Amino acid sequence: VDLLQALAIGAMFGIGIFQILRRNVIRAAIGMLILSNAVNLFLLSTGAYDGVVDAYANLAGQKSDALPQALVLTAIVISLAGFSFVLSLLYVLSVRLGTADADDIDQLKH
Amino acid sequence: MSGAALFIPILLPILGAALALLYRSPSINHRLSFRSVCWLLSILPLISFLGLLASTPIVHAAGPQTVSLAWIPSLGVSISLWLDSLSLLFLLLVAGIGALIVIYTGCYFSSGAEWRFLAYLFLFMAAMSGLLLAGDIVTLFVFWEGTSVTSFLLIAYKTSDEAARRSAFKSLFITGGGGVALLAGLLFVASVAGGGDFAAILSSGDALRSSPLYPVMLALVAFGAFTKSAQTPAHIWLPDAMSAPTPASAYLHSATMVKAGIYLMARMNPALGQTEPWFWLLTGFGLSTMLTGAFVGLKKRDLKALLAYSTVSQLGVMMMLIGDDTSTAFKALVVSVLAHALYKSALFLVTGIIDHETGTRDLDRLGGLRKTMPRTMAVAVIAALSMAGLPPMFGFLAKETLLASVTHPSVPGIAQGLLVTAVVAAGAMLFAQAATFVWDAFMGRPRDPKVHGHDPSAWMLLAPAIPAFLSLMFGLLPEPKRLADFVSDAAEAAYGGEVKVSLALWAGITPPLVLSVIAIAIGFVLWQSRERVRLIQGRIPAAVSANRLYDGTLRALDRSARLALRTQDGRLRHYLATILIGAGALIVVLGEIPVLPTAPELGPVAEMPLLRVFALILATAAAAISIFLRRDFFAILALSASGLSVALLMLLQPAPDVALVQVVVDILSVVVLVLALTIIPREQRARAAEFTFKQSRWNLLRDAAIAIGAGIVMTSVSYYGIASRPRASVITPYFEAAAKPLTGAADIVGAIVVDFRGFDTLVEITVFAMAGIGMYTLIRYALRNDNAISWRSRPRKEVASAAVEPNDEDAAAPAHTIFGIDGMPTSSMLHMLAYVLLPVMLVIGATQVMYGHDRPGDGFTAGVTISLAIAFWYVIFGYQETRRRLPWLKPSLLVACGLLLEIANASLPVLSTGVFFGHVDYGALVGLPLPAGFSLSSSFIFELAICLTVLGGATLILGALGHPNDPPVEG
Repeated sequence: VDLLQALAIGAMFGIGIFQILRRNVIRAAIGMLILSNAVNLFLLSTGAYDGVVDAYANLAGQKSDALPQALVLTAIVISLAGFSFVLSLLYVLSVRLGTADADDIDQLKH
Repeated sequence: MSGAALFIPILLPILGAALALLYRSPSINHRLSFRSVCWLLSILPLISFLGLLASTPIVHAAGPQTVSLAWIPSLGVSISLWLDSLSLLFLLLVAGIGALIVIYTGCYFSSGAEWRFLAYLFLFMAAMSGLLLAGDIVTLFVFWEGTSVTSFLLIAYKTSDEAARRSAFKSLFITGGGGVALLAGLLFVASVAGGGDFAAILSSGDALRSSPLYPVMLALVAFGAFTKSAQTPAHIWLPDAMSAPTPASAYLHSATMVKAGIYLMARMNPALGQTEPWFWLLTGFGLSTMLTGAFVGLKKRDLKALLAYSTVSQLGVMMMLIGDDTSTAFKALVVSVLAHALYKSALFLVTGIIDHETGTRDLDRLGGLRKTMPRTMAVAVIAALSMAGLPPMFGFLAKETLLASVTHPSVPGIAQGLLVTAVVAAGAMLFAQAATFVWDAFMGRPRDPKVHGHDPSAWMLLAPAIPAFLSLMFGLLPEPKRLADFVSDAAEAAYGGEVKVSLALWAGITPPLVLSVIAIAIGFVLWQSRERVRLIQGRIPAAVSANRLYDGTLRALDRSARLALRTQDGRLRHYLATILIGAGALIVVLGEIPVLPTAPELGPVAEMPLLRVFALILATAAAAISIFLRRDFFAILALSASGLSVALLMLLQPAPDVALVQVVVDILSVVVLVLALTIIPREQRARAAEFTFKQSRWNLLRDAAIAIGAGIVMTSVSYYGIASRPRASVITPYFEAAAKPLTGAADIVGAIVVDFRGFDTLVEITVFAMAGIGMYTLIRYALRNDNAISWRSRPRKEVASAAVEPNDEDAAAPAHTIFGIDGMPTSSMLHMLAYVLLPVMLVIGATQVMYGHDRPGDGFTAGVTISLAIAFWYVIFGYQETRRRLPWLKPSLLVACGLLLEIANASLPVLSTGVFFGHVDYGALVGLPLPAGFSLSSSFIFELAICLTVLGGATLILGALGHPNDPPVEG
């Protein structure tokens, strides 16, 4: 299971990177989300326990590790905020430079 | 003497610099002449000179005086000062000559208010005093660089002169480079000695010398000292530095700053010296510097250049003496430092006077000044006699002790012959230079009849006269006891052992005296035939010129800068690719993670829950499909599918809270992404989409390779991360046990988020709200000038009409208020749906806020759920209409309320429990009859606050992206 999980995470990560490297900025934004999904999945699977039941105090049995869950929860929210902000930056770029092509934005060295 | 008094020699010049700056103000410089200001300010270095002089007996009796102030205690860095006889010797020169230079400056500038020069000069004085007083390596380095910077400012003082600027850059480049090496070397020294203060370093000489790092630190420290003290081949900056005004040349570039390297090496001698490498390094460089300076100086016709090269030569002598490492050598060193500072500053100042009075310092134009400037000539002759090393001057004594130290029996036999020959040769050439200086300037007849001069004012002549007179006095006085004591103290501090000093001129007929006579005789011959010597010198081509090396270095730097610039193509994607490759390589190399799992254990496939495998495959496949789908919209849908599969995986963890958040966030991000898609103009998107699929094969291959590499690295990282993770948690059991009793929550994740790590969550929602506000500001205001259809430019009536006519949304109002995305008409079915959806979502949200503590869901999910309904409204009714129909929807207000509510909620428990973010069950306190599973506690209020903040933030995001050109409704 571990290997399969790792493979899936790696694959999603790679796909995310590939999308980020596209010239179309919308695709790059899609890549960002895939990337953050992959990372969140990874963080979640680092919990110490392989849980059988939910992490609720009133349930009996081996609970899943609550700590990474809480942290991933925060991570998801922050990545949503960051992602939205990136989108607004893309919009500003598209208005200012009149393009949605990342390669037209080549003024970084000036 | 209290330790704090040690700061006085540094603080007084700083005060002087501040006062000099005051002179800038017209109200002061109209009342006071520049000359009188210089007179007044010269009191400051004079005070410090007298104070230092008064402290000589104390230092003599009590040894080094120290003081230390904490600076960066966490790094063990402090400002330490250290005053012993060696630093005292140099400090007396800095303060004493400094006072004379300040007076001289007042007379030197005919143009008047040169407050800038005066301020630089004082700043230099402060830096130089600090360098000499420094008691640890950090303090030393800071002041060391301070002298380099002030020297730069003084050399480039005539900012309009391009040559001066180039010279200044050259000196900064060379001494600054040396400074970097010095810092590294000193840090090595400190790490081996176990401390950066001099007491630790000087007492651990054996440890330092036997350290395997010894050659490295010796080379680095020596490099720093050599660049500063103009040893070949780094000496080239010093002659160029003569573009500084003459008072600065006399002060920095002959008497004080250039001796910083000498001081440093003398200071470090007890710790680093007395080894073979030390001897060969210092003697070798010192010797070649001595000969180079003496030889090149001989052919110079510019008075300042001549003096500069003779200074280079003397610096070489001093470096050589330190390398010699005998008690005689250190006696010679101290005497040389003193003698050279006195006669050389006098000669420089005389040159300044000649330049000032006649307008030139070119020996080919000067001559015959003895008639017009007799008093100047008297001063020059005394100083030049000392430079030539003739009795009864102090310079004679310096040369005698120098010769005594090179003829000392402890010098190795092979080196001795070479050393003696070189010293005699250099002595002869220095004699010739001194004679040339006096003869060609003052004797004979004027070579250029237009050059006239007359003696300057007595005050101006005072500055060179005092050191010249002292050169005579020190030589003539029979056995000045205190001076001899002082000299031997200073030499002992540098030597680290006892040094006997007798300053008698006549010590009988000894080998040094014989050699001295030989040197003078050769020098006389050289001077007699100086025209021919110059001719011969002119024929020797400067095959190896250090200047060419310097120019070559600069060119190479420029070229490598251009090369570096060529790698910067300004394209974000390429930068990103480079960063990714670098980061991946770092992870693999530094993390020592094998790129491929060595023994993958698949395990029995049957053990894997089928649903989980399915979700994994679905998440990956959907993500992969998003690459290949042609239309952006479909790619976004594929992305959404992938995100939902991730939510499914989370659910199977089992982590229901996270899965729920993942679901709503996935939907919200897709909505946001679609909104972004619609506001980017269609033709831009079409063009970008074309590029997406029409890239060159090479580009695709490269990106694919990077992506695959990243995937492989990530796979191995996560495989090793997951496989080798600790299987027992330290913290989680505590959370599990404490969740219910402490927070009343059955949902452990919720308890962690809201209670245990409440502060985290507060910051998190603040970030979320900030993102919303930031986007709003960015899109609404930053783009206002670029937007042709900015809301300001729109007629106000239209906005007003949209607000006034309520139910007429199907007909007249502007397109964006009645239609949804891209102006597509919406059906009334959808309107109905929107009306139903919002209340339903509000109820769901309220339930989540109330029961989130015991069941999946929380305030964040609630906020996003409600804002999704509002997003639907935006799509159906348009931004304007939604805002009009939902008057309670004021995003900024919601954000503010949410955050303030939470801060109040977190602060309130301080009263009862004493803990910020403490948990209080208000419902139970008051005894309210509440339904089971719901408690009116601080956690509930927190959830509510989160919900409000997130609702506000998400609405801001949606509003900003969805309708970027609409006017904000709220006031």
